[in-house]
Amino acid sequence: MWSELRALRDGIDLGTPPRDGEPVTLSVDGIPVTVAAGSSVLLAAGIAGCTVPKLCASDTLEAFGSCRVCLVEIEGRRGYPASCTTPVDEGMQVRTTSDMLAKLRRGVIELYLSDFPEGDIDGGWSQLNTTLDQVGVHRLADDHPYRSGANHQGGVLDMSNPYFVFDQAKCIVCSRCVRACEEIQGTFALTIDGRGFGSTVVAGQNESFLESDCVSCGACVQACPSDALIEKSLFPGGYERADSSQA
Amino acid sequence: MTVIDPARLVEMANQIGDFFAPYPEQRRIEGVRNHLRNYWDPRMRSDLLAYVANGNEGELASHVLAATRLLQTEADERSAYAGPPRVEH
Amino acid sequence: MPIPVKPDQSTITTCAYCGVGCGFKAETSGGQIVRMTPWKEGKANHGHSCVKGRFAFDYYRHPDRVRSPMIRVSIEDPWREVSWDEAFAHAAGELKRIQETYGSGSVGAVSSSRCTNEEIYLMQKFARVGLRNNNIDNCSRICHSPTQFGLSATLGAGAASQHFDSILRSDVILVVGANPTEGHPVFGSMMKRSVRRGANLLVIDPRRTETVDSPHCRASVHLALRPGTNVLVLDSIAHVVVTERLYDEAFVRARCDWDDFELWMSQVGDARYSPDVVGPEAGLEPDDIRELARRYAAGPNSTIYYGLGVTEHSQGSTGVMCLGNLAMACGMIGREGVGVNPLRGQGNVQGGSCLGSWPHMFTGYRFVTDAATRAVFENEWKIDLDGEPGLRLPNMFDAAVAGSFKGLYIQGEDPVQSDPNRHHVEAALRNMECVIVQDLYETETTKFAHVLLPGSSSLEKNGTFTNAERRVSMVRKIVEPVAGLEDWEITVGMINAMGYELKYDHPSEVLDEIARTSPAYSGMSFELIERVGSVQWPCNTAAPEGTEVLHTVTFPRGKGSFMLTEYVPTKERVDDRFPLLLTTGRILSQYNAGTQTRRTANNAWYDDDVLDISADDAAQRGLRNGDRVRVASRYGETELSITVSGRVHPGVVYTTFHFAHTMVNAVTSDLNDWATNCPEYKVTAVEVTKVTKVGKVTKVTS
Repeated sequence: MWSELRALRDGIDLGTPPRDGEPVTLSVDGIPVTVAAGSSVLLAAGIAGCTVPKLCASDTLEAFGSCRVCLVEIEGRRGYPASCTTPVDEGMQVRTTSDMLAKLRRGVIELYLSDFPEGDIDGGWSQLNTTLDQVGVHRLADDHPYRSGANHQGGVLDMSNPYFVFDQAKCIVCSRCVRACEEIQGTFALTIDGRGFGSTVVAGQNESFLESDCVSCGACVQACPSDALIEKSLFPGGYERADSSQA
Repeated sequence: MTVIDPARLVEMANQIGDFFAPYPEQRRIEGVRNHLRNYWDPRMRSDLLAYVANGNEGELASHVLAATRLLQTEADERSAYAGPPRVEH
Repeated sequence: MPIPVKPDQSTITTCAYCGVGCGFKAETSGGQIVRMTPWKEGKANHGHSCVKGRFAFDYYRHPDRVRSPMIRVSIEDPWREVSWDEAFAHAAGELKRIQETYGSGSVGAVSSSRCTNEEIYLMQKFARVGLRNNNIDNCSRICHSPTQFGLSATLGAGAASQHFDSILRSDVILVVGANPTEGHPVFGSMMKRSVRRGANLLVIDPRRTETVDSPHCRASVHLALRPGTNVLVLDSIAHVVVTERLYDEAFVRARCDWDDFELWMSQVGDARYSPDVVGPEAGLEPDDIRELARRYAAGPNSTIYYGLGVTEHSQGSTGVMCLGNLAMACGMIGREGVGVNPLRGQGNVQGGSCLGSWPHMFTGYRFVTDAATRAVFENEWKIDLDGEPGLRLPNMFDAAVAGSFKGLYIQGEDPVQSDPNRHHVEAALRNMECVIVQDLYETETTKFAHVLLPGSSSLEKNGTFTNAERRVSMVRKIVEPVAGLEDWEITVGMINAMGYELKYDHPSEVLDEIARTSPAYSGMSFELIERVGSVQWPCNTAAPEGTEVLHTVTFPRGKGSFMLTEYVPTKERVDDRFPLLLTTGRILSQYNAGTQTRRTANNAWYDDDVLDISADDAAQRGLRNGDRVRVASRYGETELSITVSGRVHPGVVYTTFHFAHTMVNAVTSDLNDWATNCPEYKVTAVEVTKVTKVGKVTKVTS
């Protein structure tokens, strides 16, 4: 019996769920690759061996397209579409690297870095760290314009759950936690409250995680790319916030 | 010595009888007998048979009683012993 | 330090808790476990987890762990620490002395569903070659033994017919007496996924559980039947299938015994099982019964998942047979998306069933009375074997009270807390001369033990578990056993001490022995499991990498058998003195007797058992949310706090059984299933009254 869950592989995240359909052949950076119809360009690029950086994408969740990092160029199409939400087409020609793509991705990452604790980057091993390595920027220059302006570094630090913390300072509002709670666990305990800059992950009716409907299954912790949701057991001396940020 | 209180054995046997009651006559008697043979420790079976032989037949449903009679016949006829060496005490 | 510790090693293993058997990666740093993360390639869980397996692993290093073997002459004496050799010699010496005094059948053993397949196999081997009898039982006696009996009688195999993923192909999901959202959470998530994709959910359960109604997942029919009326209602559903000709005649003619089917049709087709008659008696609307029956029969793919709400009744085995009959009648067997599936509670209780830890069966569900099977084991073990069934655990207790049963080796079980009729169990243990308990901690049962052997948690040993899908997965040692021996090594030590020489260098040799002697496991080996990740039995030359779906071509006995399922009401009745019916269940964050989860931070969610009572019943008794009440039955009483809950109908109250001090089993009856003695935990007539003075009132009416 085929199921996208059964096609998942440990240690590999293709960005969007595998599909079961007629084979479609396309080329990514000149490399021909054949995947099932309905697969995303992001997945095809991964199969072809071309790394496309990502943040809000995971092959255990349906594509969302919020982080704007996995941009690619497609021959014959305008703009720089997100590869996670773009389905493959027969004969499609995809470019995963170019000067423009590098510049766009840098710009997006710099925005994220402007609202992220600087002290949590060096030595970190999260998926965000991997993406920073791939995009090639880890820190804003001291005189970078994004260093001024509002941020969430003083935001919520929810330690109510005995096993994991939610640190809003590290949240990039990619919604993977919300989607994991819906699509994987099915409890629907998390939402994004507010809009734009005011967007924030909340549990239940804006309660602490412990008081909400959260059943502590850990799917959100598993999904979080930036360690905003992370196990307390990985901090032997107790969880501490880094004391500085980019802003 | 008895392994289990006879009242309990009778209750269990009648409960088994309740399950097989709706079957046609031959099947219901054999059903009870097969269940006792396959699922009951032999000492429990012999305790039940001894209790019945002591004039307590009325406590069992009729097909359960008939099943015990079949078991009694088998016990009388049994020549091969399938267990480990008996220990005298 | 804001940067998290990075684990330096990651080892794949299987969760210690429920019967879903999630694959996990135990991540260590410097030899200590720092976290457990779900294994993306785990075929039972596909990278998902629940609070217990994911986070509640600290119990293994709790200070309460028993660290040394201990013995004592009388249970009033303090424990004396001894070496392993002295403990084995003493325990075996006592068992032999007892057998010489009271007879070979005066001692027995019980295996643990938290132990590996290899360990359970060795426990039944201990009884058969060490004690030379068949007095060996396992804890599924008190939960799913009716599954083994009822499904074997109808379908020919006492195990789930499908794998969990199969539910994604189901159009109709019928959940009977189970609450997967709480009891099998990762499977519950899969079920919800299927319902969100359009599957129709039907639930038969006295309570409006989380499974019945949760965000984006609601049952289209919920039969909130009166506890004790399972068989009546299932027969009524069958009545609709038969009288409205909704059965799959082609399937029945091809795959089942037609004569038995006709006999069954005339039983359920009788007017006394009509929904118009059954509805009022069970507390249901007749049209709801009809709707459920029609939806199930229509499919096209209808699957059944059921739990202890079916089995823990005086007609438990009969209830299971009703489900087997229903699935066969409607042709819902033998492909993806259908089937009959018991939700096995414990991590390896399926293993306990499969590996002969029964007084009447060897591995693979083969009778001890069958000479051919006995010959296989006599040949392998080079010893003559007892060909008569032995005592079941409840009968061991009965015999102990009567004075003829005197010694018991208990592996990883706590009957004083878990088994019904606590007073009876305590009296039985007191009457014994040697009670040997192998466990992680001291428990309610170890209070009555003369020998205490420190067990090893599933993080401390190598072996395999079999989950509720028949899936055999690896359990890997992550840390060394606290007292130096893995559980299988302890049982091997006991077998040797009884005088039977035995040696294994590695648990894989035990699985090889199981494969040699058991057709359903003949292709199984550690090498195979390591190579493919996990294997569902049967695994043999016909299915070298295991079998996902059972009964695809034939049933194990050829044809399926329809069994007659007349309704026999339980003897447990409500009356003026005890007007409410108590039923029991599980909650997500705690696990069974709570020995592990109570020693973790899971107490943050649930730190005591609570009684759910309807608003009507509470009002009538002058009760408010949070009040302390006395819950009394004909058998005993205990004290609990209440929650006024919309989940229970008037007339029904509900509690969990995770905390030792609650002693729920002082209240539950001593009635049990006719075929297997599985206790009727789910139906006890009680009264609930307010406690006006704070104090612990827990006594048993003898």
